[in-house]
Parts: sequence; C-alpha cells; structure tokens
Amino acid sequence: MATNANTRGQSIEKVVVVGGGTAGWMAAAALVTLLPNAFELTLIESESIGIVGVGEATLPHIRAFNERLGIDEAEFMAATRGTFKLGIEFADWGAIGESYIHPFGTFGHGGSDVNFHQYWLRLKQASVAVPDLDRMSMGVMVARENRFALPDRDPASIASTFGYAYQFDATLYAPYLRARAEQRGATRLEGRIVAVERHPEDGDIRAVILEDGTRVEGDLFIDCSGFRSLLLGETLAEPFEDWSHWLPCDRAVAVPCRTSGEITPYTSAIAMPAGWRWRIPLQHRTGNGYVYSSTHLSDEAARDALLAAIEGAPIAEPRMLRFKAGRRRHSWARNCIGIGLASGFLEPLESTSIYLVQAGITALIELFPDRRDSKIDRDEFNRLIDMEYDRIRDFLILHYHATTRTDSAFWDHVRTMTIPDTLAEKLDLFRRRGRVVKYREGVFLDASWVAVYLGQGIIPAGHDLRADAPPAGAVVRAIDTLADEITARVAAMPGHAAFIARHCAMRDAA
Amino acid sequence: MTVAPIASILVAGGGIAGCSAAIALRKRMPGLAVAIIDMAPTADSMIDAVGAMLPSARGFHGDVGIPETELIQKLGASVRIGTSFSGWSSGRPDYVHAYGDYGHSLGSASFHLHWVRAVLEGAAAAPFDAYSGAAVMGRAGHFVPPPDGGANPLGCYEYGLHVDPARYLGMLRGYAAHLGVTRHGGQVADVHRDSVDGRIKAVSLADGTSLSADLYIDATGPGRHLHGALDTAFEDWSRWLFVDRFLVGTLPLTGEPAVLDRVVAHTAGWLWSGGSLTGTQHGFAYASRAIGDGKAARILRGTSTLDAGSVPARIAPGRVARPWIRNCVAIGDAAVTCEPLEFTGLHLVHNAIDRIIAKLPATDFSDVELWDYNREANAEADRVRDFLIAHYVTAGRSDDPLWRTTSAAALPDSLAHTLSLFAERGRLPVYEEETFSRHSWAAMLLGQGLIPRRADALAKGVPAPQVADAMARMQAQITAAVAQLPPVGAYLRHILDGARR
Repeated sequence: MATNANTRGQSIEKVVVVGGGTAGWMAAAALVTLLPNAFELTLIESESIGIVGVGEATLPHIRAFNERLGIDEAEFMAATRGTFKLGIEFADWGAIGESYIHPFGTFGHGGSDVNFHQYWLRLKQASVAVPDLDRMSMGVMVARENRFALPDRDPASIASTFGYAYQFDATLYAPYLRARAEQRGATRLEGRIVAVERHPEDGDIRAVILEDGTRVEGDLFIDCSGFRSLLLGETLAEPFEDWSHWLPCDRAVAVPCRTSGEITPYTSAIAMPAGWRWRIPLQHRTGNGYVYSSTHLSDEAARDALLAAIEGAPIAEPRMLRFKAGRRRHSWARNCIGIGLASGFLEPLESTSIYLVQAGITALIELFPDRRDSKIDRDEFNRLIDMEYDRIRDFLILHYHATTRTDSAFWDHVRTMTIPDTLAEKLDLFRRRGRVVKYREGVFLDASWVAVYLGQGIIPAGHDLRADAPPAGAVVRAIDTLADEITARVAAMPGHAAFIARHCAMRDAA
Repeated sequence: MTVAPIASILVAGGGIAGCSAAIALRKRMPGLAVAIIDMAPTADSMIDAVGAMLPSARGFHGDVGIPETELIQKLGASVRIGTSFSGWSSGRPDYVHAYGDYGHSLGSASFHLHWVRAVLEGAAAAPFDAYSGAAVMGRAGHFVPPPDGGANPLGCYEYGLHVDPARYLGMLRGYAAHLGVTRHGGQVADVHRDSVDGRIKAVSLADGTSLSADLYIDATGPGRHLHGALDTAFEDWSRWLFVDRFLVGTLPLTGEPAVLDRVVAHTAGWLWSGGSLTGTQHGFAYASRAIGDGKAARILRGTSTLDAGSVPARIAPGRVARPWIRNCVAIGDAAVTCEPLEFTGLHLVHNAIDRIIAKLPATDFSDVELWDYNREANAEADRVRDFLIAHYVTAGRSDDPLWRTTSAAALPDSLAHTLSLFAERGRLPVYEEETFSRHSWAAMLLGQGLIPRRADALAKGVPAPQVADAMARMQAQITAAVAQLPPVGAYLRHILDGARR
C-alpha cells in the first residue's frame, strides 16, 4: 500500500508522447514551450507508420495556438504551403443545386443584443424585398470574390467582422513543429512500440517497449497514435462511444490533384450521393477526398466518383481511410491522455480535427497534473472535452439532417433518422423564431448555426420581437447601406492568390 | 406565423420588481399594452428591503432611460464598489469582494494563480485584495468612475449603487405612470384558469375587478399569487443556506457614505450595513432556529442603535422549478428567494426582465421557447446559489454548530466540482449563466482562506523573481493611484452641484 501511494503521488517528471503526426508534434511543441523546464518530454514515432493528416483545413483558433508558440504567420504559411480560409462552402446539402458559405464571421456588424439575421427575417416575413443575407456578411462576400486581406483591428470597421484560418499541408506542419519542439528540449525517439508495461500495483502505464528493446518510462503518457489508440484504446481498453447511427460515413478516399480552378480562400464540401467531397486548395495543389458510408457505396465506386469529380490530374495514388464516428468514453484515463484521433473521430466536415487536437492540448496544459492519480484534473479535462465533442457532433448531424434530398438511400436515412434530443431542441427553437441556443463556451457560435440553418433551408416561422422596434424603412436603408459598404470594401481588396504571393509564398514549387 | 403575438401583459406586484418589469416592457416593446396590479410589497420581499445594487443595475437604468445623475440628485443614491467581509474565517483579516480585476495575468496564467504560487512558496505577497484597484479604493473610501479605455493602474472595475428602497420605488412608480403603464390598485383575490389548457384566463381583484392579458408576470414576492396557482414545484436550498430571517432598519448618515458594504459574520448568520446619502441601512440575516426574533432585534440595535420596530422578513431559500409556465412567468422573489448576502436580488430581476423581452414567445407559449427561458433562468439562479453556499462552506467557523450544518450537507455537484478544482490548484471552471466573474470567485475563496494545495503549472512557467517584481509593482501602482483619488463624498458632491447649476 505504501509503495502504491508513494509512486502514484510522485511528481510528473517524464512525459512520453506516443505518435508523431500532427497531434503528437502539436502536443510536444506546446508542452515544452508553455511549460518550460517542468518535465522531460520524449516523443516516440516510427517512420514506417504513415500519418493520417486529413486535417488540412482548420478553424481560426489555430492562429491563437500558433501565436502562443511564437510562430510567425508568413513563415509558417510558406513552410506549409498554406492558403487563407474564410469559411466553408457547402454545395448540394439542403438540396441539389443550392450552395452557401459558412463564414468565420458575423452577419451584419454585430455588437447589438439582437442578432442581425432577426432584422432580415422580419423584413422577409413582411414580404419586403431584401438582398440575400450573404451580402451582409463581409466574410462570405470576400470569399465569393476570391479575395483576401487581413481583417481590420478596429472593431468599428466592417472589415473587422470576419475571421480566417488556414488550409495547409498537414504533412509539413508536423516537421515544422518538430524543429521547434526539439529546439526547446523535446527528445525524439525513432521506433515502433511493441509492448506496454503497467504498474503492477495500480494499473497505470509505466513504460513502453520499442522494437529494438528500448524501454521508455514515463509518469504521464500522451496518446497521439491516431485511430489505433494504442494506449487509451488497446492498453487501457477505454470504451468507444459509437455515433455512427447519426454520422454513418465510415470511409474516405483522398487524392491530391493539380489546381486548375481558383485558389479559393475557402474549403468546399460538396454533398455526394453517399456522403460528401472535400476540396482544399493549397498553394501548390488541391486536396480532394470523398467521405462516404460503406453501407451505401463500395470503395471502388467511391474512388471512381472522386476521380471523376476532381478538377485536375491526380498527383498521387488515391488513399483509403477507415474510421468510425464517436469518441472514447474518457479522453483522459489513468495517467494517459488521448489527443486527436486516439481519443475520438468526427469527420472533417467542419474542419474540426485539428481544432479538437488543439482543445485537448490547451485543456491539458491548463490542467497539467502534478502526479499520476490526479482525479480532479482528469475529471475537469474530460468534462471540457466531452462538451467540445458533443457540441461539434450536434453541429455535424445538423448538416445531414436538414435536407430535402431524396435522391439516394443515404440521404433518405440521414433525413429521417432520430437525432439527439440536444439537437432536436436547438432545431425546434430556431424554427420558431430564429433563435440559437446560447452557449458561452463551444467552438461554433451563433453566426455559424445561423449560416447552416438558413443555408440548408430551415426557415423560421417568426422572428425576435425586438427586431420590430425600428421602423421598417430604417431597417431597409440600414441593410442596403451595409450591403453597399461591404461590396465596396471587398472590391478594394486584393485577390487571394495575389495576397499570398506577396505575403507568404512558398519558396520552392516542388 | 398564424399564432397571435403577445399584445398585452399584466404585471402583478407593485414593488421594485414589478415596476421595473412594467417600465422595461413599455420602454423597450412600445407596441405592448402593459398594466400593473399595484399591490404593495410585503415585508418578505428582499428586493424591496435592500438598497444595495450590483453594477448590472446601471445597465438596466441606461436601457430604460433613468439617468444616474438624477438617482443621486433626487433620491440621494450613492455608489458602491463591493463588500467587505469580516469574521468569515476566524483568524483571517477582512477581505473585500470588489467588482473589478484582481491583478493582471502574467504569461498565460491568471493573476490569482501567481498569487497562490507566491503564497505556497513563501514569497512576499500582500493580501489578495491589495492587488485590486477597486478593493483598495473601497477600503480607502475613495471613488472615481472607471475611465473610458486606456491603461489604468486600478485595472478594470465596475460599480453599483445604493439607494433608499422606498424612495427608489416611488421614483419607479412615477416613471411607470409616465410611460403609460395602466395601474390597478388592490390585491389579487382569485386566479381563473382555463379548464382545457390550464392557462390563466383572468385575475380578479378584491374589489371584483377582473383583469386579463396574454402574458402574466408574477412579481408578488414569495407569496407567488399568480404562479403559485399554476405550479408549486420548488427547489429548496435550506439545507445549505440556513438564514431564514432578515431584519433591517435605517439610521441617519454620519459622515460620508461607505463605498463598500460591510458584512460581518455572526454565530447565527451575518450583520450588514451599507448606505446612501439618505441614511445607512443595517440588517441582520439569521437562522430562526439559532436565535429568536426578539434577541435578533436586540443584537441589531446593539450594533446600530437602531430603533427597530420592524418585523423580520421570512426567507425560504430556493427557486421555483419552472419560472415560466404556460402564460405566466415569475420574477424576483416570486422566482428565486435567497438572503441578500451578495445583493443578487435586483440583479436577477433585471436579467429576468431582459430575458423575457429577448425570448418573448407568441401566444402559443411553445414548450421549446419556455424550455429555453427556464434553462437559462434556472442555471443563473443555481450559479448564484453556488456562490452563496461557497461563502458558508469555506468559512473557517467550524466551531459554530450552525455553520457546520452547511459543510455537513452534500453540496450541489456543480459547487463540489468548483471547490475541489479550486482547492487542488486554484482553477475555476466556467459554467453557463454565471453572475460572478472569476475575479469575484477568486476574491471570495482566497479571502475566506481556501488556499489551493499546489501551484498551477502555467504559473510556474513564469520565473518567480519576475512574478515578485510584477506583484510589487502592481501593488505600488494601486496604492499610489488610490492616494491621488478624491473621497467618495467629493464625487457625489460634484454630481449634486451639477443639479444646482
């Protein structure tokens, strides 16, 4: 007993990161930068194991992550051949032939208690002719015009109302972070893990054994082993909560191609008969993939459909990925924290893969334990991560469920399936009078929900009565003025490709 | 939408809560017909008994067009910037919960985590509230309103107000009439419900008058004259909050009004004082099972030479399970009743009014819209509950049998989580609908002497000497800045002189 208490109560001196993909190197770089000299950090990776690296498109939160690590934006974008991303275009989701952009930004100018779309709804419901809501979003309009400039810092400016993220080559991000992590004292070990050793007295993980016999001991293990979930899933047998009844896509086929169209400042998600297809333009190529349900489509058919749809010649063999939507019941179990795919998977429809990695790392750093059996920190970490997963899950399900498509068994299924109560309430509330359930925490805020609801044909029956306060004429004028101002501001911005060329062009066009 | 919109609202209750609701609805939703049943507030209405307001009241005044200068000039209102707590932890000094920042973050850790680390490592650290510009200003009796923008050695802060509740109510009644709120005198005698949908069909008054509206707002205090006819489900908080009586009186002001309210722990509860230009309120919040009303009155007289002829208010701490049910929504003491330890009563009223306006449904009163209202309102009430309970459960008064009862009861899960996380490493989890900021929570918990077991890893990322320097500098800057400020009386006189010019 005494030994047990003693070793579990010992301070954290050795941290071992298992796996060196995007998640592993993001974790390693952040830990050694933000908690300097707090522990020894070793990262184990094997060159013989590929990295998934699906998360080429990101959310604006990554900018804060890079900033905390002292990363220079232009240098980072050049190194990862990155482009700017103002949002995601969704084509054929609500109905075939329809498309909308979910922007990283607001509709209207914000700053009012009443959401801007409420004024717009009021006029629509009174059959007043109003421009499309898109024209009142700076982010959407910049994206539609394929332009880009950095947002204004002055909150009074309409050009401060959009945000941006990056589209980049994730296989280049990991080595970029690796260099920084190693500079700050992280140790990299090459090798494949063949065994995991546990403390006989309490069952915590004690060490991992590599193929060549090297034994790597640790106090805290960070599982970044991807879908395999080597420690959290295989060793600790943390149960997997399966969400595939709501999110039936379980495979993807991915292929990069030459860019023949515009380098768009947005990612595209194009609905397909058995799932959806991504298009992510980088500086030197365009990433493509078809995420599909294997119940509804064969691998071969998916591959053919993808190759038929892409805009240019493929520049690599198509790669197949298998996955299942859901998450481990606990992301942190015993002395092991799963980050990224090792803790769960949600398809990259809203580019949340890297965001979830980042959320896990941020929570871990804020809750960094001082001993192995730190239940209090662990419970709070799991509470935070559960909240992230649950809210993203509902948002993704909405995209599938809010549709009028009847063209395939896949769409029939998602259109008619039972959705989680938490989403049913949100949908019902929006249908009433355009209200979004308010959360202070959570990755997608009001404007995101509004964009997807309206973009996919969920049209509220009423509106917020506070929007009735100003005279209709004044609202119409304000909307017209805003739309004109946005149009003028967008017209003065440089093209996306021109901005990249000046700001952050990659150095060698390999 | 074919469902008719809400066109008329009947507010029951002529106290501060009811008048505030009528005013805000008339002012912000000009299309609505608003009537009020002007029942005089009962002695049990905490909102009508306590004149101390949180900073959020100023936002409400701004929204409905009540100029603060007039509150000072015509009602003799004063400003308050927080509360000092004494005797809550034996052997520890008084502490101040002020409405502002406590220090500023260094590196990526918030200030309180650095302070905890300094204390744990035995480094020089002044009391936590010495790093709050607002707290130091309050202790010194000095005051300036927060400047607009720019760097400020005092940090960000807000301030609330102190009024004489009866005068304030008089002003609200006049303003409501001016705005066109229809007034009905009398008491609610009967509530008539529709036999099919269970909604309120009409309310009849003692004189036989029958009144109807689309929506009924119950601001009748703990009596719940309307809401109680629809639903009696109530979440009882008395196992954590033992105070069930509140006695209050006023003394003439001597000297300048205090910028901090004062709350002193007592074996049977706590004693309060705070005031405006028209007088100082003294109150005694106590547990009737620990002390009789007569003795309580003597104790209050002893501290204040109060001429106490007043009857103590009865407090049944808790909240209704569903504040909005069918076509009736309860606000104020009718929705949430609790002791005025952190002066949250009027704050909850104002937020309820804002929420009613923001979420006003149509006359179908759809379940999902009421669910959304109740979800937020209940979460907000529960967060206030947690904050109040935390005062008792972390108090170092385990010698008092009464105070021990709170620690002995199983805490609400949300508070148990907060306290365990804070006790471990000073972290404060974020919940939705929280009234008090992390600064407030840290000020209260650290002030009460709950020192976390260990220093936060992010705080340790900043070298200790650098933190020591920064802390010394912050404290020196605050001390120097506060010394330059005028006493609160000078600020109030400046406003009063403005009226005479």
